[in-house]
Amino acid sequence: MSKAVAPPQDLPPPGGFGKVSYEKVPHRTFFNGSRIALTAFVSYAVGSVLYTMSCQRLKKIYLEQKSGQIATQPFLLAERDRQLLRQMRRNRDAEAELMKDVEGWEVGTLYGTPVFSTLGENEWVEYSAQSYYAHADPQDRMEYENSSHWL
Amino acid sequence: MVITSQFKLPTEEELAVPELNVSAAAFATGAFHLGKYCEEPCKEFMLCRDELGDPRKCLSEGKQVTACGLEFFKKVKKSCLAEFIQYEKCLVSSSSNYEYARCRKTQNVFDECVKTHIGVERPRPFYFCEPKIHDSKRPKPPTAEYPVYGDATPKLPEEKLKEAKTTFERQGIFDAGRPL
Repeated sequence: MSKAVAPPQDLPPPGGFGKVSYEKVPHRTFFNGSRIALTAFVSYAVGSVLYTMSCQRLKKIYLEQKSGQIATQPFLLAERDRQLLRQMRRNRDAEAELMKDVEGWEVGTLYGTPVFSTLGENEWVEYSAQSYYAHADPQDRMEYENSSHWL
Repeated sequence: MVITSQFKLPTEEELAVPELNVSAAAFATGAFHLGKYCEEPCKEFMLCRDELGDPRKCLSEGKQVTACGLEFFKKVKKSCLAEFIQYEKCLVSSSSNYEYARCRKTQNVFDECVKTHIGVERPRPFYFCEPKIHDSKRPKPPTAEYPVYGDATPKLPEEKLKEAKTTFERQGIFDAGRPL
């Protein structure tokens, strides 16, 4: 009987295993405290210069647009005034026509009681949109009042 | 509604004038030259409108403004129509609010044309944002007079007012304007 050969065992390499590295290995860093501060300072400086420049550019554009709008305002206002006065007369005529059968009704008042008691008869009061569209299609008034929501 | 029969309103015939039948884009295109060309009637109208606060009293000024604008656009149509349309097209298609900064090339062409044919130079960009001083021939409207009430609190005697140097000395802690 030959001698029994021992099977090869799973043993450590000669000299033993190396040490287990469990400590944190930090990366090589570029930023330290002073460099962070420098970067922040430089970026704030460049950013504030660019910000100021674009603010000035946008303000110039805004002011030029506004200037053009102001230049055209008298023309639009003059036309608007005439249309408003025209419509006021039409509304008054329409009210007189509408309420002619009602006894004791006076145009512009509630059976003789004026809306504004301290104002004179011929004194100007700002005419509201509700009054302007009083005898018009309600859809037109809705379009006027909601038009700003679409801008 | 609020308009009584005693309220004076102009008739339709008084209000019938040829209106400026142009679009918003055309207004924006000609805005600077238009405002410069019609500067005097515009200033007169806006001053009247601001002082009197009543559209009925400024109708003749408004009619002058519209007539002047009509005259300007007629002149432009006669002599600078192609340049005007070119500039307008650029303004309309470059941005949503007719931004002048995007159309300098076409603007220069239009400016040259208006300067040679109509004689109006384009004012500097912020010209219409600047405050204006206008000397009107219309007399100044009277300022509102405040009512005088008999039972108002009497004023302090004159000697005390002369002695006191500051508002705090005059009015004590019951001064609304005193810094807290």
